[in-house]
Amino acid sequence: MNLIYTAIGFFALAALLGMYLLTFVLRGKETPKAIVFSHGPLAVLGVVLLIIYIARGGPNPWESLVLFVLAALGGLYMVSRDLTGRPIPKALAVGHGLLAVGGFVLLLVFAFGN
Amino acid sequence: MKTQSFWEATTPQRPDYPTLEGNLQVDVAIIGGGITGITAAHQLARAGKRVAVLEARRVGGGTTGWSTGNLYVPVGPYFHNIASTRSQEVANTVAQARFSALNFIEEHTRKYSIDCHFARRPWYFFTQEEDMTSLVEKEAEALQQAGMPAEFVTQVPGLRYESVKRAVHMDGQARIHPLRYVLGLAGGVTQLGGQIYEHTTVLDLKEEEDHCLLRTTQGTVTCQQMIIATHIPIGIHTVQTVAAPYRSYVVAMRLKSGAYPDAYYWHNDKTHHAITTHSTDSMELDMLMIAGNHHKTGQASHQEYQHYFDELESYARQHFDVASVEFRWSAQHYRSGDGVPYIGLTHKGAKRTYIATGFYADGLVYGTVAGIQLADTIAGEGSAWLEAFDATRGTNLSTVGEFIKENTNVAAQYLKDIPAGQVSHFDDIGLGEGKTIEVDSEKLAVYRDAQSQLHICSAVCTHMKCIVNWNNAEKTWDCPCHGSRFMIDGSVIEGPAILNLERKSIDPTTGHLLHTGGKTSGEREINNPIT
Ligand SMILES: Cc1cc2nc3c(=O)[nH]c(=O)nc-3n(C[C@H](O)[C@H](O)[C@H](O)COP(=O)(O)OP(=O)(O)OC[C@H]3O[C@@H](n4cnc5c(N)ncnc54)[C@H](O)[C@@H]3O)c2cc1C
Ligand code: FES
Repeated sequence: MNLIYTAIGFFALAALLGMYLLTFVLRGKETPKAIVFSHGPLAVLGVVLLIIYIARGGPNPWESLVLFVLAALGGLYMVSRDLTGRPIPKALAVGHGLLAVGGFVLLLVFAFGN
Repeated sequence: MKTQSFWEATTPQRPDYPTLEGNLQVDVAIIGGGITGITAAHQLARAGKRVAVLEARRVGGGTTGWSTGNLYVPVGPYFHNIASTRSQEVANTVAQARFSALNFIEEHTRKYSIDCHFARRPWYFFTQEEDMTSLVEKEAEALQQAGMPAEFVTQVPGLRYESVKRAVHMDGQARIHPLRYVLGLAGGVTQLGGQIYEHTTVLDLKEEEDHCLLRTTQGTVTCQQMIIATHIPIGIHTVQTVAAPYRSYVVAMRLKSGAYPDAYYWHNDKTHHAITTHSTDSMELDMLMIAGNHHKTGQASHQEYQHYFDELESYARQHFDVASVEFRWSAQHYRSGDGVPYIGLTHKGAKRTYIATGFYADGLVYGTVAGIQLADTIAGEGSAWLEAFDATRGTNLSTVGEFIKENTNVAAQYLKDIPAGQVSHFDDIGLGEGKTIEVDSEKLAVYRDAQSQLHICSAVCTHMKCIVNWNNAEKTWDCPCHGSRFMIDGSVIEGPAILNLERKSIDPTTGHLLHTGGKTSGEREINNPIT
């Protein structure tokens, strides 16, 4: 379970930075790249820990992983748009956040549900 | 002292080429009128192709007109390194290609009677430090293996340097006035029926199934093939992960004695200095130039860029009887991962788009190699140099360290883009100073001119969004990621960026950004062709 708790820690940090980034996207401002390049790797670390946990077998939060992977794909697409000079669609940024929040809630339920 | 290139200042008549008006259809379009673009245009026109050069500013006004005018077979990254990162065979091909290019330049100065002071002279490579002798020896051996007449000598004629520990000499190298040469060769292009357009910036380029389409500030150009001869390809390109931008500095001086040595010297101690001499308006030598002090563009370790010029000047004063400093300038070069330029089709799937970059500061010769090679390839004549310079080769095991180093460096630049909060320090910016500051969550590049007027642009580079840094020697905004450079009004000077930095306005009473009604920075669509 320690792996899950650590993953939750990484996801929580990533979520804080993500919310901050969302304020830039919604106001139509350039995203600060130091935050972009911290948010992504933190979330990726969380996903990696989650995959390791699931790979060990037994009951696992696979639904949470699916949501995080979908959110990660959206994140990658947004970064590529951002760096190549195409605006980030606001709906996509919000959708990415909602997917990640969904994954996070499922993970919390799995970790602390019983 | 204002920076100005000696070559720009000593080119008397500069022909004006027209600006493109309307649309154009040619066989080959060449973006960029430096030595690479003009050589390619010349060779293609000679092969009977309909060719057009599209130059954003003036022919030869890019790095070509800001170089140091030496023509030589040796290379900055050294042949012995190329032999180990690639192979001895590749090193031999590179040496042969450079040797041929040097001859090509000589032939064409004669053919078109170009008054560009071409003269053969020797090259010397020497060190005064014991621990640098093996490097000099290895390089001499690599040159010899490549069939070049490099030989060890005990004296370095023309210089009064004491205790030279190891020295190599090679005859048959040359000097040239690079701007006059390129303008002369451009004359040859038009004589052969080629077209040259100045003040015509290419904004977009696309390779289609059966043609290429270029959009310029003036009109569109349709062609069968295109060459991106902009020193580093414009737009977004994978080669930008392996070709890194560096600036280096030049100081040109007159000597009291008038005893200008007639040779080109590389003095390799802990620091590298290149020593050369040139003439202003005749074949008589009357100018000493010292070049060196590389650093990554936009990442000077000295806040005062002046330091780089001062160091070169004090080096010169230590070794020569300097009477006066006449010119100072700096220019950019792009280093390749394995020491060999990238010349050829832009990526594995490309059929019509060619690039040439990664020349180090050896690109008058490499630009000529590229022009010849690309023209031969496009004209269907084939080229023996193709494989050595293959632009799609990427990185290999022996260069992966360099690849990681350069790209970690770029990543580190992005990590400096930290939100600083709501601060506006306009008052902190002195006269003639530039600073990046944050206002209303936007990074701004702000310059205060001598009349205290502020010139404000977005500090977000239009290439891939790094934050630009102030260069106080040239009064430019330099991007630390891939080397795009911008003037104080935001216009692009060089590098991969195509669009200017966005102009911004501030409400003088509140210090807040004024909204001009258009799209905000984060919503602006930047046209960045992926080439
Ligand atoms: C300090 C210094 C000294 C050097 N000294 C030497 C030397 O002694 N010997 C040597 O062999 N090499 C030297 N070099 C290297 C050499 O000068 C360059 O490698 C060479 O000039 C590059 O030529 P180029 O034609 O590829 O690029 P450039 O000369 O830079 O030409 C590129 C052109 O493309 C144009 N362009 C850019 N974007 C666009 C656009 N969107 N649309 C249309 N046009 C565009 C630019 O305006 C420019 O004119 C030196 C380099 C430096 C930095
Ligand atoms: S040059 Fe690439 S981000 Fe500025």
